[in-house]
Amino acid sequence: MPSERPAPDVRCRKAEYWRGLRVSLPIMVGFVPFALVLGAQARMHQFSLLDVPLMTGLNFGGGSEFAAVGLWTSPPHMLLIVGVTFLVNSRHILMGATLAPYLRRIPSKIMLPSLFFMCDETWALSLTDARKTGFSLPYYMGISSGLYGSWIVFTFFGALLGPILGDVTRYGFDMAFPAVFFVLLRGMWKGVGSMLPWLASLSVAVAAYLVLPKGWYVPLGALAGITVSWMQART
Amino acid sequence: MMSVLTIVLMALTTYSTRVAGYLLLNNAVISPRTAKVMEAAPGCVLIAVLAPSFASGKVADLAALAVTALAASRCSLLMTVVIGVASGGLFRLFLPM
Repeated sequence: MPSERPAPDVRCRKAEYWRGLRVSLPIMVGFVPFALVLGAQARMHQFSLLDVPLMTGLNFGGGSEFAAVGLWTSPPHMLLIVGVTFLVNSRHILMGATLAPYLRRIPSKIMLPSLFFMCDETWALSLTDARKTGFSLPYYMGISSGLYGSWIVFTFFGALLGPILGDVTRYGFDMAFPAVFFVLLRGMWKGVGSMLPWLASLSVAVAAYLVLPKGWYVPLGALAGITVSWMQART
Repeated sequence: MMSVLTIVLMALTTYSTRVAGYLLLNNAVISPRTAKVMEAAPGCVLIAVLAPSFASGKVADLAALAVTALAASRCSLLMTVVIGVASGGLFRLFLPM
């Protein structure tokens, strides 16, 4: 599964970094409206102004941050919020596992801090890239720095300007988010065989989202899809 | 302060999920079947994250999602984002259900 290519150390780091940063630009278009809304909602749920960039900068996981803001009280229910954070982000465990075979050439003292920046988009783009040409750390860091920087800056702006912004997702900007994900999914399409696990994942996730408390839909949906692909892989 | 402490614990939890898979599989030997499943797993995770967009139940949202998915199958990332946002805005304007 991992590529044998020795190239990443040879490839020009700077060019790889810029390649990543360039790829992150259209994704930022999708980040900005959500960041503004998150910042604004956090303020409505009694976050102090500086707690917003503190959370988005230290945690850097949009889904879990929306969930935390939705559950936030003053003082917050610490265990509930930490538990939901784990549920929403448990997909990272799987994501890290799928990336791991490509990371063996990179020392773990470099990889462990770098993994702090792993989000859905960075991971999906880097994994697709790694499957083609081997994992490129500067490319990964290029995407990460664009997304991380814009996430903190715009959640802070959202917190600052929240009351006067209104709902920016109303117009259609929220569609930027599925748009990015659809393009990421295209990179993972492996023919018609992909369809069944994806449909299982989507339908279980939608059902879980509609009936279960916040946080459960991602792990349950992913688990359903993986179960189907596990049965498919029996040969 | 409770809120800062909660945020720090949240962040530690998130970071641990980010490194756990890597640490578990860093030097593990992977069976062919597991490898196949791991190839399929990423798409399943991404599509599960998308569930809330599909769950709104509004005709306009579902129509915009269909157009966006079609755009994603043939356009660049930037173009898909533009088409997605435009179709979202237009469908909601004309299909108020």
